[in-house]
Amino acid sequence: MGIDKERPASSVRVNAGGFALPGTSRMNHTGSWRLERPLYVTSPSPCHGACPAHEEIPVYLDHLAMDRPRQAWEALVAANPLPAVTGRVCPHPCETACHRGSYDTAVSIHSAERFLGDMALREGWPYPGLDGDQREEAVAVVGAGPSGLSCAYHLRRVGYRVTLFEALPEAGGTCRIIPDYRLPAEILSREVERILATGIDFRPGQKLGREISLEELEEGFSAVFLAPGRQKNRIYSVDHALPGDLHHGLDLLWEWRNVGSLPRWDRAVVVGGGNTAVDLARTLLRTGSREVHVVTDEELPGLPSPTGRGAMPAIAREVAMALEEGVRIHTGRRIGRLILREERVIAVELLHALKEIEGQTPVHRAFSGTETILETDAVIPAVGQEVDPAGIERLLGNRTFLSLLPTGQVEGETRIFAGGDACPGGGIVSQAVGSGHHGARRIDALLRQKTLSPESPPSPIPFTSLNLAYFEERPAYVPRERHGEARTGFSEIETTGPADEIRTEADRCFSCGHCLECDNCWTLCPDGAVLRTAGIPGIPVPYVFDYDYCKGCGLCAQECPSGHIRMSPEP
Amino acid sequence: MTPIGSRPPSVDTTALRKVQPRFSGIESGHGACQGCGQALAARLVLEAAGPDVIVANATGCLEIFTTPWPQSAWTVPWIHSLFENAAAVAAGIEVALRAQGRTTRVLAFAGDGGTFDIGFQALSGMLERNHDVLFVCFDNEAYMNTGVQRSGSTPHGAWTNTSPAGRVRQGKRHFKKDLLAIIAAHGIPYAATASVAYPSDLRAKVRRALDVSGPSFLLLHSPCPLGWGHDSALTISVDRLAVETGLFPILEMERGHVVGSMKIRNPRPVHEYALPQFRFRHLLAETPEAREELEHLQALADANIERYGLLSDAPGPRDSGGADTVRRGGSRWG
Ligand SMILES: Cc1cc2nc3c(=O)[nH]c(=O)nc-3n(C[C@H](O)[C@H](O)[C@H](O)COP(=O)(O)OP(=O)(O)OC[C@H]3O[C@@H](n4cnc5c(N)ncnc54)[C@H](O)[C@@H]3O)c2cc1C
Ligand SMILES: Cc1ncc(C[n+]2csc(CCOP(=O)(O)OP(=O)(O)O)c2C)c(N)n1
Ligand code: SF4
Ligand code: SF4
Ligand code: SF4
Ligand SMILES: [Mg+2]
Repeated sequence: MGIDKERPASSVRVNAGGFALPGTSRMNHTGSWRLERPLYVTSPSPCHGACPAHEEIPVYLDHLAMDRPRQAWEALVAANPLPAVTGRVCPHPCETACHRGSYDTAVSIHSAERFLGDMALREGWPYPGLDGDQREEAVAVVGAGPSGLSCAYHLRRVGYRVTLFEALPEAGGTCRIIPDYRLPAEILSREVERILATGIDFRPGQKLGREISLEELEEGFSAVFLAPGRQKNRIYSVDHALPGDLHHGLDLLWEWRNVGSLPRWDRAVVVGGGNTAVDLARTLLRTGSREVHVVTDEELPGLPSPTGRGAMPAIAREVAMALEEGVRIHTGRRIGRLILREERVIAVELLHALKEIEGQTPVHRAFSGTETILETDAVIPAVGQEVDPAGIERLLGNRTFLSLLPTGQVEGETRIFAGGDACPGGGIVSQAVGSGHHGARRIDALLRQKTLSPESPPSPIPFTSLNLAYFEERPAYVPRERHGEARTGFSEIETTGPADEIRTEADRCFSCGHCLECDNCWTLCPDGAVLRTAGIPGIPVPYVFDYDYCKGCGLCAQECPSGHIRMSPEP
Repeated sequence: MTPIGSRPPSVDTTALRKVQPRFSGIESGHGACQGCGQALAARLVLEAAGPDVIVANATGCLEIFTTPWPQSAWTVPWIHSLFENAAAVAAGIEVALRAQGRTTRVLAFAGDGGTFDIGFQALSGMLERNHDVLFVCFDNEAYMNTGVQRSGSTPHGAWTNTSPAGRVRQGKRHFKKDLLAIIAAHGIPYAATASVAYPSDLRAKVRRALDVSGPSFLLLHSPCPLGWGHDSALTISVDRLAVETGLFPILEMERGHVVGSMKIRNPRPVHEYALPQFRFRHLLAETPEAREELEHLQALADANIERYGLLSDAPGPRDSGGADTVRRGGSRWG
């Protein structure tokens, strides 16, 4: 007696004698009991939300963990074309936000990023996504730092013709003066070269405001993206008494990069608390100056500071290394007066001082009666930069930065966009990269006659949406640092991790808000209402809910380790 | 954020069901409550045992919700015994198959009522006569099908309709019957306990039980959202706590000797287990009686932990924190 389990209900035959050939229970569509239905919903991970370059971190970590490094890199460069650079220099706010940090230790995301960046350079992988339809419109990008490079790259990915104007003979922007012990020049050049080779018409030595004008760009191009960074040294004055041979910190770093030599001082005092001050101090120690002091009215960064006082904007880890290397940092001090003999400085007068953050604006205070004297041969201001107004006076007005509309354009403009350090919120490479990507998306939207509405920031999946029962504490990868020689010369301090360790580290990722393909939902549904698929086009996970039978119990959502399933009221 | 209402009309689920990379002995469309632990447990047992099996099923929820006349959720040969005699029916089938020289395996399924209480003499006889049958008790700790009456398996302090909680009594007065000790006394080749919260462990035990010849016994803890009074989404989470508190020890026995246990990596206090369950909620009241009874429950859990040495000294892949971790890309359930 064959039993056909697929027959519809109407075919159940009741035999003489009163027994029925059974039909399958699948004739009962128990899905009708449901009040809520489970949905597979990809939610932004906190690391993605915190990454200024908007990398889809769990996506590439998943590829990496599954030993698909090339796909991992391709997912990574869909957002950030400079991973070998950012993997080295980004202060990785993603790791601060990482949910794994609330469990054991944050995933060492930057180690994975850097590993993939290096691997791609070594293997010579070409950028994916550049073979789509080409578009007629041409876009001008000004400034070949990370922001301009990122914008140009992302415009190329959607097929625009791009001309990239750069005042200097080489691309790379301010990243070029990040010292080799943190970012080897060769790594930067190779990633930059690879971007320029995507079909960008690169015009070095062409400065807006010198060789070209804004009007010419508006005339010749459908849209303009400005990424000039901040190249003009902020004026440094201490009661207008300045030595004749005043060097600015940024200029000295450029001199080291371009000329390869620096003055050797017995004692130098660097003023400022940012990356420029710290990198210059470390570079001076490495190039033969005997003693280097940094003076700032801020506090050391990275300390739990309940005082509300401003911390040095330099990257915390870099400050710690500067101290290890012998840089002397005077926090909470301000230079009240330079003591000059003829044109030369012989000492500085230090005062107790502090920087407080009141609302948005910092307030600097110094306290008289606390003066001390520090003898020195040089005072080097590294007190920040402003946007060079040359060529963009019309856009700046009386501001020192380019102010943007929520839709991405420079205030008062429709076809001129901007990003990076030149705009508020800038200051790190990944932000420059992200702003370039954003600019490219906005330009694309504009040129496709789409309306420009502001993009809303992602709201990351909360920690409580994860089911931690499915994870175990596991030791984190700790980046290895070179000691000894590396700390007195220019070879790189942090190293790129070995493949197996980085893969293991990537596997520590919880995949917050993304499917791990762990099979939990498929295994645990009491109603067999989750079906595994071999991949269905248009459905990003290899599972489907069979709503004919799902009773809406919510068990799958509860037991999904990564919070990828959400219950939602029946439509 | 893109919600994916994951079954576009283009997905042919009937075709998809035929190519699922697992055996499903119980079909969808059964009438179990939302989040039923027993429905899940039975499917998991058959996933490891099937398809070449015959099931004898005692009266109880599982039997009822899988066979709404004239339909059946079973994709394996299945017979409904009486409430009290699943073991006897299974024994008869086993003998008949043996006489025919067939290798089909025989499973007996029963609830805790059909095992600890009314079905016990038939079970004892089956074990004693050395029938080659795997008897699985789906332990939801009460007579659920008839509306939540206490059984010999109901834990101390739990509310049921026949062990109410009030001023005089704090739920069930007596203790959960130590069935495993009685099973052990039969000296059968293999006996074990398992929980739906640890499916890999569960399935490994089903395979191990079927690997031995002779009688084997599996006590499978299966939460009942209706009778325990917890949210249907919490079936697995609640049962994980049953294990992690020590209230339901996960053990393996060969010939009556405990040869293995799932160590508890992070022991949890019993009030965490009690909190989501209506049947224990009275124990969380701010009264001296409730407090005393909760302490009593804790003492029973501690006694289990001590008796079976359940505390782990170092984290391991088979303890309560490691046995159920996920692997990306599937294959975790091996
Ligand atoms: C010493 C130092 C260390 C740093 N360390 C780090 C670090 O560790 N991590 C980190 O994330 N960030 C660091 N930063 C900051 C980081 O370098 C910048 O945030 C980033 O480079 C900004 O990118 P951008 O593209 O906006 O501008 P830039 O990189 O400054 O690039 C702007 C480019 O535009 C060109 N340009 C300017 N005006 C014109 C014009 N009118 N016409 C044509 N071209 C023009 C410039 O020549 C330059 O090439 C550091 C900065 C300094 C100074
Ligand atoms: C001899 C006999 N007595 C009583 C009943 C009524 N009855 C049917 S199922 C059941 C309780 C079943 O409890 P359990 O075995 O624990 O299974 P559950 O429903 O909880 O899964 C009872 C009392 C019966 N069917 N036969
Ligand atoms: S666990 Fe993974 S997805 Fe979650 S925040 Fe950390 S890196 Fe991102
Ligand atoms: S576990 Fe199954 S029945 Fe419950 S909500 Fe999920 S798919 Fe639906
Ligand atoms: S339970 Fe696992 S397989 Fe299912 S959606 Fe969540 S992560 Fe993906
Ligand atoms: Mg029962």
